[in-house]
Amino acid sequence: MFSVLFEKELKSIFLSPKFVATFGVCSLLILLSVFVGIQEYKNEVDQYNTAVQLSEQQMMGESSWWGIENVVFRKPSVMQVFVSGVNNDIGRSAEISTWVEPKLENSNYSSDTLFAVFRFVDLTFIFQVVLSLFAILFTYDAINGERERGTLKLALSNAVPRAQYVLAKFAGSWVGLTVPLIIPLLVAMLMVMIFGIPMDGGDWARVLTLIGSSILYFTFFIAFGLLVSAFTKRSAVSFLVLLVAWVCLVLIVPRAATMTAGQIAPVTSVAELESQKDRFRTDRWRAYGMQRSKLWEERRTAMEGMTEQERNDYMAANRQAWDEEEATARDATMDEMNEHSRKLDEELRNEKMAQEKLAFTLSRFSPASAYKLTAMNLADTGTSLKNEYEDAMKDYRTTFTQFVETKREEDRRANRGRRGPGSNANDDEPLDLAELPRFDAPKQTYKEAVEPTIIDLGILSVFSVLAFAGAFLSFIRYDVR
Amino acid sequence: MESKNQPMLQAIDLSKRYEDGHLALDNLNLTVETGQVYAMLGGNGAGKTTAINLFLNFIEPTTGQAVVDGIVTHEEPLKAKERIAYVSENVMLYPNFTALQNVDFFVKLGGKTKYTKEDYRKVLLRVGLQEEAHDRRLKGFSKGMRQKCGIAIAILKDAKAILLDEPTSGLDPKAAFEFIHLLNTLREEGKAILMSTHDIFRAKEVADIVGIMNLGKLVMQRTKDELVGEDLEKLYVEFMAGYMDEVA
Ligand SMILES: Nc1ncnc2c1ncn2[C@@H]1O[C@H](COP(=O)(O)OP(=O)(O)OP(=O)(O)O)[C@@H](O)[C@H]1O
Ligand SMILES: [Mg+2]
Repeated sequence: MFSVLFEKELKSIFLSPKFVATFGVCSLLILLSVFVGIQEYKNEVDQYNTAVQLSEQQMMGESSWWGIENVVFRKPSVMQVFVSGVNNDIGRSAEISTWVEPKLENSNYSSDTLFAVFRFVDLTFIFQVVLSLFAILFTYDAINGERERGTLKLALSNAVPRAQYVLAKFAGSWVGLTVPLIIPLLVAMLMVMIFGIPMDGGDWARVLTLIGSSILYFTFFIAFGLLVSAFTKRSAVSFLVLLVAWVCLVLIVPRAATMTAGQIAPVTSVAELESQKDRFRTDRWRAYGMQRSKLWEERRTAMEGMTEQERNDYMAANRQAWDEEEATARDATMDEMNEHSRKLDEELRNEKMAQEKLAFTLSRFSPASAYKLTAMNLADTGTSLKNEYEDAMKDYRTTFTQFVETKREEDRRANRGRRGPGSNANDDEPLDLAELPRFDAPKQTYKEAVEPTIIDLGILSVFSVLAFAGAFLSFIRYDVR
Repeated sequence: MESKNQPMLQAIDLSKRYEDGHLALDNLNLTVETGQVYAMLGGNGAGKTTAINLFLNFIEPTTGQAVVDGIVTHEEPLKAKERIAYVSENVMLYPNFTALQNVDFFVKLGGKTKYTKEDYRKVLLRVGLQEEAHDRRLKGFSKGMRQKCGIAIAILKDAKAILLDEPTSGLDPKAAFEFIHLLNTLREEGKAILMSTHDIFRAKEVADIVGIMNLGKLVMQRTKDELVGEDLEKLYVEFMAGYMDEVA
């Protein structure tokens, strides 16, 4: 009995003209999106390589460790082919210098605004928006359409258990709509291989998990369509209800959640933060200057009554101690300022994280958000990407600065007494960058990527099960006439 | 086979009051034996479809029982439905399937899986659906053609009882004539047939028992023998009118 119903469900999907059209369009979209993703990835890799080379050449062109400037770049990730996430929105490079904290700048969209207008449509977007609509389009009249057509009456005039009927409906729609999607997805994977995108085992595992999650999300909409069609008598009504629900779940809830979180947990603005830092810096420098002038005042007092000769001797004797004292005091002040700005940054980050967490929690009422969060976590192109990079860059900055400090120290020693600091012993030779510590792009392991998605995948599963259970219960009591 | 004294279809004090309070069926009692054709006459809204829906457990009775082969339908609907074939007022099938595909699906749902395509074709021809239509999609079918498919499905289910809700509506005169012939054959095969119809002449021609319903009540019931020499149309009009007077 089940197989008869199941088979019929498949047949009616494949025989319907709207299936051929919609499926064709969806397949094309999937392929196109992955194709464009691959091209963009390759472009970015080229840009990345060029930029890294240029930066290296520039460093080599420097004649001394004193003037050295380093820029590090965010490495394109293969996962951005499928889930662009915030990849195009956050910066691609950061300056590493002794004086300021590294900050990602120069995002794709800020340099190519045209692309920001016609945003890259990734696989996640296709599933989130297009395929969820596709699922609704095929299930909105799953039950009530049969009633309207009169076929439900004829079917249930036989000894057909309703549980089996609705189960076969679901299973049939699921297989009939999901399995065909596997085809363009497989072709897309093939494309990734043919174009030589360097995917390692972990990346493939991510992609497979991503596809699994996408299908789970798709499943929810199939179950949801079934639910609404089993709750209403007329397909025109269920279509409208589903459309409104879709708009709410996919478009409104995620944004409303973000806005609500913004209201409940506000975050200090960047301008405010900068002015706080500025004020502190000004205060510290002023205090430092006053301390300096006081000190010099004292030293002058100490030298009062000395002869010219005595004074020169005194100064020569103390010069090194004074220099060292000054350097220590300056370093202390700088440390203090850095510490302060680090603390402010951390506070801001905590505020942001609290807001983000709240927004995510609220938005999870929508399976569309749960899905998107899953995808971004899997691909590591989510909101944490920026922090991950900036953390790694801060660590790198420490190593880099230490390395450069040692080099400068060596220079200083080599040059002491000959020329002032700021000149290399051998001016015309390029710097030897072989020992320069390199920046390693942070990369999550598969386990790290999957862990945060468990909650969202759980939510998606629960939503799907609830939707189907609702459809099931509603159909058991459904008026077939 | 079931015992002779147990009727195949039986309505016992069957009433249905819809959710809106309308009493559509008022204490209906009727019996259809094996090998009998029972024709229900009655104006629009008399309660014929309601009675048939109760036999199929599409709706729950307010009081009373609809019994099929000794099985109370609202207690064991699946068991009861195994014994019923049904043709609705307006047979609707899947527009994207061909006639054969539709027949195949519904007959299999009826639990008959052994038929071949040739069996389907034979029955379709028997109910008057011309060969060229068998492999056509239902999309372009007329009401009568769909009706023929519905009747074919019911025949192929080979159930002990057949419920027909205005089966001849939409059939052309030739098909309607052939349908009466078909009913006779089915009766001879030992089916119990309960049908609702507006066709007084055909009812008189084919039915073993004729019942007239009005406003949910069975107001007249005569056997074929009792109707010999009677003008059923006159009776019908009289009973409807008489009952109306009574109500007034
Ligand atoms: N779901 C319903 N809710 C309320 N009233 C209903 C419902 N279905 C039918 N009725 C009413 O019950 C009465 C009997 O309807 P029914 O369909 O059984 O009549 P019928 O004899 O089959 O008529 P027709 O010859 O037009 O097919 C009508 O008055 C109808 O309006
Ligand atoms: Mg009717």
